[in-house]
Amino acid sequence: MTQSSPRPLPLKGIRVLDLGQFIAIPFCTLWLAWLGAEVIVIESRRRMTSRTAPPFAKGHEKEPNASGYFNQLYSSKKSVTVDMTTAEGRDIVRRLAGVCDVMVDNFSTGVLEKLGLGYEAVSAINPGLIMLSNGAFGRAGPMRNARGLHSAVNLFSGVADVTGYVDSHPRIQGGVLPDPLSGTYSGFAIMAAIYHRQKSGQGQFIDVAMHEAMLTLIPEAVIDLTLNDVEPERIGNRDRLNAPHGIFRCRDEDTWLAISVNDEAEWAALCAATGHPEWAGDPRFATLAARRQNIGALEMDIEAWTSGQEMHAATDLLQRAGVPAGPVLRVDEMLDDEQLNARDGVVTIDHPVAGPRRQMALPWHMDSLDVQYLRAPLLGEHTHEVLTGLIGVSETDYARLEAGGVLS
Amino acid sequence: MTQPTAQGPLAGINVVELGDGTSGPYAAKLFGDFGAEVIKVESPAGDSSRRRGPFPDGRPDPEASGLFMYLNTNKYGVVIDLDGKSGQAALHRLLDGADIFISNLPAKALDAAGLAPAALRQRFPRLIVTTISPFGPTGPWAERKGDELVTYAMGGMAYSTPGMPDAADDLIKEPPLHPACFVAETIAGVVAAEATMAALLGRGHTGEGCHVELSQQAAMASLQIRDVTNASYVGSHYNRLLNPITIGRMPNFYVPCKDGYVTVAAPMEIHWERLSQMMGDPDWARSELYATEIARTANWVTLRMKIVEWTMTLTGDELHALAEQSQLPIFPFYSIRKMANSDHSRERRTLVEVQIGGKAARMPAAPLKMRATPWSLRRPAPRLGEHSTAILKDGMAA
Repeated sequence: MTQSSPRPLPLKGIRVLDLGQFIAIPFCTLWLAWLGAEVIVIESRRRMTSRTAPPFAKGHEKEPNASGYFNQLYSSKKSVTVDMTTAEGRDIVRRLAGVCDVMVDNFSTGVLEKLGLGYEAVSAINPGLIMLSNGAFGRAGPMRNARGLHSAVNLFSGVADVTGYVDSHPRIQGGVLPDPLSGTYSGFAIMAAIYHRQKSGQGQFIDVAMHEAMLTLIPEAVIDLTLNDVEPERIGNRDRLNAPHGIFRCRDEDTWLAISVNDEAEWAALCAATGHPEWAGDPRFATLAARRQNIGALEMDIEAWTSGQEMHAATDLLQRAGVPAGPVLRVDEMLDDEQLNARDGVVTIDHPVAGPRRQMALPWHMDSLDVQYLRAPLLGEHTHEVLTGLIGVSETDYARLEAGGVLS
Repeated sequence: MTQPTAQGPLAGINVVELGDGTSGPYAAKLFGDFGAEVIKVESPAGDSSRRRGPFPDGRPDPEASGLFMYLNTNKYGVVIDLDGKSGQAALHRLLDGADIFISNLPAKALDAAGLAPAALRQRFPRLIVTTISPFGPTGPWAERKGDELVTYAMGGMAYSTPGMPDAADDLIKEPPLHPACFVAETIAGVVAAEATMAALLGRGHTGEGCHVELSQQAAMASLQIRDVTNASYVGSHYNRLLNPITIGRMPNFYVPCKDGYVTVAAPMEIHWERLSQMMGDPDWARSELYATEIARTANWVTLRMKIVEWTMTLTGDELHALAEQSQLPIFPFYSIRKMANSDHSRERRTLVEVQIGGKAARMPAAPLKMRATPWSLRRPAPRLGEHSTAILKDGMAA
C-alpha cells in the first residue's frame, strides 16, 4: 500500500522497562514492542533464562544469541545487561525505572522488593510509573507464593474441569495458554493505564494472576455451578446445545476434521454433502433433540464417513456445502496455512545468528497505524546506548562499571 | 435509572457494540468493566447468548441467561432493527460522538445495514471500527464458515490437547480435544480489546480513527508461541502422546492420586533427589533403572507406574504441601467448586456475586487488579431494549 506519509506506531513514545522471564511477560511486551513501544529488557550473563533454553538454531547450540525461545519472544526489544545482584546494578535499574512509563515483571512474589525495586520504591522515584506484575497466582492472596507452571495454572483455574473425553477425567490443555493469555490481558491493562495517565497524570500498580485470566474462559460452567449447584461434566468435543459438534478421524494417520453444525440448514447440508441423505430422514437424527439423544450413534456414522476422507478435501467439500468445518492443524501446518499466510498472519524475521525464522504476527490489521517486526537484540547490544543516552552515565563511569562486572 | 459514576481507567470513552455470542460482546465488556460507557445494540430477536443459559433451575428465559448476564454487564441495551432505513439512521446517530464501534457480525450483515467499515471510517473520521470475523475479510477463507470449534482447531490448540505434562497413551483413542467452553471466542475478544486500545492510543498521534480488523483464527494461532518456535527452529512439533520426545526429561507426568490428579515434574537431577526424599528414599529409586536422567527417561513407562503407586497413597493437597516444602512443581487438580471456594479465590475476589433471574450466583471478575482504577460492576446486563427509550429517543445516556 502506498502512503503519502508514514503511518505512526500506536505506542510511539512509550518506554517499557522489562524484567520479565519465561513467557507471560515477554509475550506481553513482544506485542507492545511490535506496536512501537521502546522495550528495554534487563538481562545478565549470571541470570539468563530464555537465552539458555532450546530450541537453538542448528550448529549454534547453547549460544545465547541463537535461542529460538529468546529470539521469537524478544523481537523488536532492546537488550541491556545489568547484574542486579550488585548494588550498582540495582541502582542502574532504579534509575531506568525513573525514566520509563511502564515497568513489568513476573518474578516470584517478593523478589523485586528484596532487590529494592518493588512498586513502593520505584513509584517514590517516578510517581507516574505504571507497574504490572504477572504471576501464576498473583501478588495477593494466600497462594501468592505458590509455584505454578502453566499446567498448575490450568489445573487451578477450573479449565481442566471442563476439558476431557466423555465421562472421563479432567485433562490439561496443550500449548502454554495461561502464559500468552495472561500476557494479552496484561497488554490491555497497561494500555488502559496509559490512557488514564494521559488524562490524570496518575501511575499505578497492576496485579495480574494467570489463573484469573484462565477463569474467564469458563463463565458458563462457573455460573451453572454457583447458580444451580450443577457440577461441570466432561463431554469431549460436544457442545451443550448443538449437535453434531465434534472432531472426527480422517483417512491419514493422526489427521482430524472439526465439524460444527449450528442449525437445521447446516445439518441438511451435511447430510447431502456426505452422500448420506438418509440421515436427514432418520428419526434418530431428524431433530436437534433427537441428535443430542442419539449423539453416540450420530458421531459413529459421521466418523465412518470422515475416516475415508482426506482432511483438506473433506473440509473443502463441507465448506462448499455451507457446513462449518476445518482441519485440526498441527503448528507446523498452521505456519503453512493458506488463510493465515494470505493475510500476513505469519511473519519472517531475519537474525544475524539464527537466520530468517517464521512466527505468528499480530493477529489484526490497522488501516491508519503501523507495526514493526524487528529482530531480537544480541546479548547486551543496547547496554551502552541506553545507559549513556538515557540515564546519562558518563563514558568514564561506563568503563568503570563494565570493568567491575556490573554490566555483565 | 441509577447511574453510578464510572471510575475506571476508561471513563469517558463511548463504545457502541453490535455483537453476538462471545467475541464482540466480551471485547466491549472489557471496556465497560474498566469504566467506558458501552451501548449494546441488539436486533429484535436479541443476542443469541440470551438463549444459551445456564438458566436458573434450567428453565430457559432470555432475561436470565447466565452467559448473557456475564458477557453484558456494565452495558446499556437498545434494540434497533437494522433491516429498515430508520434503524440504520438511529445507529448512525449513536455512532456520532462515539469513540469505538465493535462488531463481530458477518461482513455481509454490516454491509447490508450500511455499516461497512470503510463507509463508517469515512463518515466518522475519529471512530475506531473494530471488526472480528472467523478468518478475516480477505483471503481464500474469507467467505467460509467458522465458529468456536473450527477456529480453535485451525488455531493449533486442538491438535496438542491433552498437552504437556498431561498426555495421551493412544493417538486414536484420545483424539484432539476442545474444552467445553468458548476459548477461541474469548481470546478473540481479549485480543480485540487490546487491539482497540492500541488504536485508541494511536489516535492520540494521528487524530483519526482506525479500522481494527481481526481474525479469530489468527488470534488463537498467535498464542501458540512455544510450539511455533519449535516448529520454526528445529522442525519439531508437540503431539498428544506420552513419550519423552514431546514431554522431555522424566519424570514429568500427570497422574492419579488418592483423591484426584496431580502433575509431578522432576526433570533434573536436583529435582529427582528432592522427589526421592519426598517419596521416603525408596530402594527402587536408587536402582540403576532410575539412577540417572538418561535412565529415567529411557525407563519412563515403569517409572510412571512406580510414581503412581506413591501418589495413590496421598491426597492432592498433601502432595502439594510436600512439594511446596521441597520447591518441586507438583500441583493438584482443583474442581471449579474447590477453586471457587478456596481462600485464595475469596481473598482475591476472583469471582463476583451476581443475581440471575432473582437467584444468587457467582461469575468471573475482571482478571486485572488495577490499584488506582479498579474495575467495577456498575450495572447488570440490560434487559432486551431496556434503554431504548432513554437513549434512542432522549439522546445519549449521560
